[in-house]
Amino acid sequence: MPHQQSDTRWRPADAVLAAGVIVAALAIWACLLWLPGRGAAVRVTVDGTVVATLPLNRDATLTIPGTDGENTLVIAGGAAQITAADCPDHICVRHRAVSRPGQSIICLPHRVVVTVVSNAADVDGEV
Amino acid sequence: MHKRIACVLLSLALAMSVVGCVPFSACGKREATYFDVFDTTAQITAYGVSAAEFSRGEQRLHALLQEYHRLYDIYHAYEGVANLYTVNAAAGTPVAVDDKILDLLEYGLAMEKRTAGRVNIVFGAVLALWHDCRAAALENPDAASLPDPAALTAAAAHTDPAALVIDRQAGTVCLTDPDARLDVGAIAKGYVTERAAAFVAQELGWSHVLLNIGGNVRAVGAKPGDAPFTIGIQNPDTDSAVAYLLTVGVADKAVVTSGDYERYYTVAGQRYAHIIDVDTLYPAAHLRAVSVICADSGLADALSTALFTLPVEQGLQLLAAFPDAAAVFLLPDGSRQYSPGFANYVLSET
Repeated sequence: MPHQQSDTRWRPADAVLAAGVIVAALAIWACLLWLPGRGAAVRVTVDGTVVATLPLNRDATLTIPGTDGENTLVIAGGAAQITAADCPDHICVRHRAVSRPGQSIICLPHRVVVTVVSNAADVDGEV
Repeated sequence: MHKRIACVLLSLALAMSVVGCVPFSACGKREATYFDVFDTTAQITAYGVSAAEFSRGEQRLHALLQEYHRLYDIYHAYEGVANLYTVNAAAGTPVAVDDKILDLLEYGLAMEKRTAGRVNIVFGAVLALWHDCRAAALENPDAASLPDPAALTAAAAHTDPAALVIDRQAGTVCLTDPDARLDVGAIAKGYVTERAAAFVAQELGWSHVLLNIGGNVRAVGAKPGDAPFTIGIQNPDTDSAVAYLLTVGVADKAVVTSGDYERYYTVAGQRYAHIIDVDTLYPAAHLRAVSVICADSGLADALSTALFTLPVEQGLQLLAAFPDAAAVFLLPDGSRQYSPGFANYVLSET
């Protein structure tokens, strides 16, 4: 008996299945992006006291209550930047966005320091 | 042939994303942060409760924390509230106060005995001198100064815990020495954190909660699936890119750190921290930090303060009287020492 070849041409159902697998893979990948990872985080201190530690892989906006004024911190695209402040010189606002451990943005008049730290994103709390 | 290749590639794409997928522990995590209590940030993180239930519960918790904040405040008076500021201002005469104050003060006196006096809530006369110098230095760093040594010695004569008389029957407390002052900074946050934990567990019935009140961490239960909460022990070198020297895993435990790297001020290039040695009357300098793990947050707070004012050997001796407690000591030379049993909690070290 002749060996029966299966028809392996693309059919509409195949395209639907392939599309479904791609969509599922993309959806899972997107979900992973939003889970806290082992990446870097920023630690925000006011007058030496830590007020917040935020992961860099989750977009966020934080109003920091500095001494004598406020700074607005924005985390987007894996980097942190001070986008607004009511200090006289605005050096902190002009500073480039930071994303690598060791980098920091300082607002001296408000005693605000934003530092990128390396292993902070995978804890539930700190003491 | 093309279809087979496509099948393989698609399976690979799906497999890669699925393999990287960890249990969605971040989903269902609810958080609230308060900036108006105990001169610090207070945070609650809860798993396994709906958004509506969390909102109702955290508002009740916030109100409870605010009540304790008013009662235990030694720096401000509040209309219609007899608090610790009131007791200090009325030193020499009895003051009728809420049972919550009587409970805290009795706890403080018990801790004074159990730590052989290293933690003393009637040390306010000495601590006030340091507090005033530190506050003045933050306003004007160039004029930073140390308290007058004679003033410190004079104040130290008014720190006898026996001067604090609690009358449960009458519901009053009295500082029988008019120059004595209460300062509950060494125990209050930990004590309140323990009360908050009891509220969350018993009144709210939540069992996967992490509280962090100004560095007093208390895990109520574990994370869903019985995973312990991961707590980072901060690097005292706050300029470093390394945030944590080690991480510990805890469930139903408190973790508290006492250190020299947050509340301090500088005089002539020298740092003066805020935890004062009851014997020398000057900031203790044996350690950069000490972190204590035990079941009760009030005890963890008192022990971390006591251990911070002792050399490591004496600290280990004190700890031996508390079999449920374990500690890590961070020394000025950068080394670290674990008490017996602490290693059981360690998840990772840097």
